[in-house]
Amino acid sequence: MKFVSQIVPAAIFAALAFSAVSSAAEIGQIKNTTGQVFLLRNNQQQPAKPGDTVEQADIIITGANGSFGMTLIDGTRLSAGPNSRIELKQFRFNPTTQEGESLTELHRGTLTIVSGQIAKRSPGAMKVQTPTTILGVRGTRFAVKVEE
Amino acid sequence: MISLRWLVLNTLAATLFVSGCTTVNTFVVLLPEDGGAASAVTVGDNSQSTVLDKPYSTAAVDTRGGIETKTITAEEANRMFTDALAAQPPQPISFTLYFESNSIEVTPSSQPMLEALFAEVAKRQAVEVQVTGHTDRVGSDADNDRLSLQRAEAVRTMLIQRGINSNFLRAVGRGEREPLIPTPDEQAEPRNRRVEVIVR
Repeated sequence: MKFVSQIVPAAIFAALAFSAVSSAAEIGQIKNTTGQVFLLRNNQQQPAKPGDTVEQADIIITGANGSFGMTLIDGTRLSAGPNSRIELKQFRFNPTTQEGESLTELHRGTLTIVSGQIAKRSPGAMKVQTPTTILGVRGTRFAVKVEE
Repeated sequence: MISLRWLVLNTLAATLFVSGCTTVNTFVVLLPEDGGAASAVTVGDNSQSTVLDKPYSTAAVDTRGGIETKTITAEEANRMFTDALAAQPPQPISFTLYFESNSIEVTPSSQPMLEALFAEVAKRQAVEVQVTGHTDRVGSDADNDRLSLQRAEAVRTMLIQRGINSNFLRAVGRGEREPLIPTPDEQAEPRNRRVEVIVR
């Protein structure tokens, strides 16, 4: 019993530590911004600037004169033009095995993508969603526009 | 009368299409890679889908999921995505620097590469640098782990001296585990005494 009582708290602690790390993990970085660009995280909106790190579930919004470019840790490059809303819905990447999967949603606006290791390693594991369709990325450069 | 009505409707439809007021919601275009080639993107799900695998091939998806494909010109694509394309970050670049034996001194022949690294890092916005040190197989594993980290730290220090934000500089040592050129243990190999740098 003593053995169990020591193991259980340790396991719970490990689970908590893991979830805390995985929910706040950096998955990429804003590289450049022009005009109005905002980062929406946990319903808090703040101006985005070069060097800001991004996490899973973040939403990036550009104004009428806004644009930005960002890189993700698998080497994917994303950039968006004015009046865009991009949500980093899911992102998982193992730098050692280079394996992972991602789902990015373009709610509106323009988005250009150069895919990275996730799509290279597993064609189709990188997906881009829009209000009316879903894209499976085999590679590498493409652009998407969504009109409301 | 019927033909006239058709004509009017067709003209109206054409006008709506040109002015972008149709029910098209999503527009996808495959772009050439930097080398000029292109790979592929699938559009749609199981019920209705298409594969774009030629440069500037496009798919327009309407609000009911219907897909229409055609090919546009490079100029049309560039016009439609001017701002997004202009914001595309540059491609990550890697550099390899070689080191003197049992030393954290960069070899004279690697000096131009070191200068190229400094120049690349200086011109990138919000630059991130990953520095990974390696050794050849002369010496103990523990000594080589230490030496490889010292080599990586030496490069990191030079970058910090040039004003790079240390928060975005990562240095690790991999010892003799990942030789560029596989050798028996205790064999000197200058090409394995190196630091690999990825600039993103």
